[in-house]
Amino acid sequence: MTLRRCTKSVDGTIPIPALVYNDEELLASQDGVGIYDGTQKSANHQSGTIHVTTHRLFFVSAARARAHSFALDLDLVSQTDHYAGLFKSSPKVTLHISTEIASSSSTGAADAADDTPFASWECQVCGYRNPPGRSPAAARICGLCGVPRDSVPSPHSNPPLSSSLPPSSSLPTLRAPPSGSGADERACPACTFLNHPALRACEMCGTTLPIPPAAASSQSAPSSRPSSPDPDDDDDDDASARIIKVSFRKGGDRAFYGVLRRSLKSKAWVAATTMRSPATSPGDMGSGIARILRDAESTAGGRTAHMSAAFQDLEALMVKAADMVRLAADLNERLTATATALPGGAATEPEEATFIRSSLAQLGLQMAGAPVTQDMMQDERRWVESLTRELARVLQGASGSGLMRDRGVIALDEVWGGWNRARGVALLPPTTLLQVVPHLPAHTTPPIAARTLPSGLRVLHTPPFAPAAFAARLAGLLALAGPKTTTEVAAEERVPVGLAAELVGEVEADGEVCRDDGACMIRGGDVEVRWWGNVFHGCAWDGQRV
Amino acid sequence: MRPGFLLPSIHSAPPFFTQQPHPGTNETATEHWATLILTYARHRKLFVLRVEDTEAADSEWQEVLRNERINRKLLATYLSAILESMVAKNSAVYDPPGQTRSVLLYWRLPEEWAEVLHTWAISTGQLNTILTFYEITDPPIPSPLSNMPANLLRKAIAVLAKTGRAQLITVADGEGVRLFQGTGK
Repeated sequence: MTLRRCTKSVDGTIPIPALVYNDEELLASQDGVGIYDGTQKSANHQSGTIHVTTHRLFFVSAARARAHSFALDLDLVSQTDHYAGLFKSSPKVTLHISTEIASSSSTGAADAADDTPFASWECQVCGYRNPPGRSPAAARICGLCGVPRDSVPSPHSNPPLSSSLPPSSSLPTLRAPPSGSGADERACPACTFLNHPALRACEMCGTTLPIPPAAASSQSAPSSRPSSPDPDDDDDDDASARIIKVSFRKGGDRAFYGVLRRSLKSKAWVAATTMRSPATSPGDMGSGIARILRDAESTAGGRTAHMSAAFQDLEALMVKAADMVRLAADLNERLTATATALPGGAATEPEEATFIRSSLAQLGLQMAGAPVTQDMMQDERRWVESLTRELARVLQGASGSGLMRDRGVIALDEVWGGWNRARGVALLPPTTLLQVVPHLPAHTTPPIAARTLPSGLRVLHTPPFAPAAFAARLAGLLALAGPKTTTEVAAEERVPVGLAAELVGEVEADGEVCRDDGACMIRGGDVEVRWWGNVFHGCAWDGQRV
Repeated sequence: MRPGFLLPSIHSAPPFFTQQPHPGTNETATEHWATLILTYARHRKLFVLRVEDTEAADSEWQEVLRNERINRKLLATYLSAILESMVAKNSAVYDPPGQTRSVLLYWRLPEEWAEVLHTWAISTGQLNTILTFYEITDPPIPSPLSNMPANLLRKAIAVLAKTGRAQLITVADGEGVRLFQGTGK
């Protein structure tokens, strides 16, 4: 009876994490356990898995998880014992259920199960909509303002005190069928199906039916409502009977018992209540609006404290920075003084001074009025020069493996991409490339120069692709091999077609070649432009004279 | 009836038929075209050139505007550019005025035509008589003035009238002209 009175049936097919409340935590699990109701084995609960959470104990039956699984609230457990086992007797954990709590709070638990865990409710005071899924104790208090749910009476709320009413009012309806069709029928405790008195297990769900006292058959119905105190339970009201034993057939009892003890000791269900209960914090003004305001104030206060601490750090840093700037200025002054004192003047400024000044400049501590710009210019010129040498290596390569090994013309964007790819790290912006390009001819053999094509495309080219050289070569080619299309020119010069078009276009702009448009053909037509040497050069009238 | 026209060698160069983007080259080519057109017009006694002549297969101009041997033809756009340049150089004039599709070619300028007309009148002994335009442009004996457009003739007469060698007279069925000896200016 203890088992049925104190536990709630759950659907064991639902995974445990889905069954626990939001503020509940699964602590340990152990399979291969059986349950003793009192001192007797409970027939339906002989093989299953037991889970202990911060709030409850779950038993999930291995055979019939849907029908024979149950949950036990830990706040009903008043005492626990551990029995290590002997020979064929499995180790056991005994849970003593406190009677008064069991009888009183089981009703509370029952009605909490009726409405709270999976229904949201709105706080009467602050209007906060409390989400479902919190444990019964926590769910009775508003999550925002801490006001107990039922402190403000309302017609819609269901105060715990009146929760005894629904069962009593539903009792007659439950009892009605037995009184009408025959008092012998027994209601199933799990599914309330009215079974024939001869049956030992429910016809529908297989739950063991309570054995009715032979004398009073009318008392079978109350026994189907374990929450209501009924006289037939009085016989096992003695302390020895108010126990549930968990038998560990596959071991794991010690670890489980340890976890259970800890869970019982921590009293998470009580903690949740006290944390939210306004009565336990005596310094508080109370609950509701005052509490919300106080919370907001303390949060803001904490943030201000953090912020001021951070700013103090920053101020300290700024003080140091001022020192550093002063030091730099001092250093700079001394350098200038030394330089002017020297007979050679600023022109023979030592290497170290230049280095120091450029370092300062790089730190962003450039001094006004000092000849740093000149130094920086020297420095930069050297930098550009080394970059130019590097680019020359990329383009021409040490052993003929550069970008321009077998190409006479290369677009600047490709150069930039190739260079940065070769560098891998410390990539350079296009502006730097443009800075470097004018210095290239001095560092390359044959000299690589830059030119801008008519479309605005900038390219690097070897001497054969200088405008005059290319124009002469193209004119020679056209004179020798006859008219050519752009594609043929591209193939001849081994440059991309687009580039060839640009190059020929530039020669045409100089009037060295002329075009023969396919659109002028009588038949066919629609072919590429063919390039001719300029046939109009020195062309005199040799037609009919008047 | 007419001997063949000798085309210049440039006419067999394909680039000659393409409008060249380079301004210098284009100028040379256009000059050659203008010379060719005027020479041909003088040879064939043609007075009018229309842009449409590039497309019309039966046009009198096909011989110069196309070259079947090298499979090239002049495009209408290039011809209108050439005509524009000729008008600018007073070797042609848009006729009728106010459009750019058709020109009257001046292979002789109106002043030259005036001299031709005067010489012709003297040689045929028609001074001091009233001549209709028709009698001038379609004489019984073919003359240099045969098939001359009326408006070109009118311009030539206007030139003569300025020097007192001709007088325009309105007659019953059109216009007439009386030419004088007009010894000197």
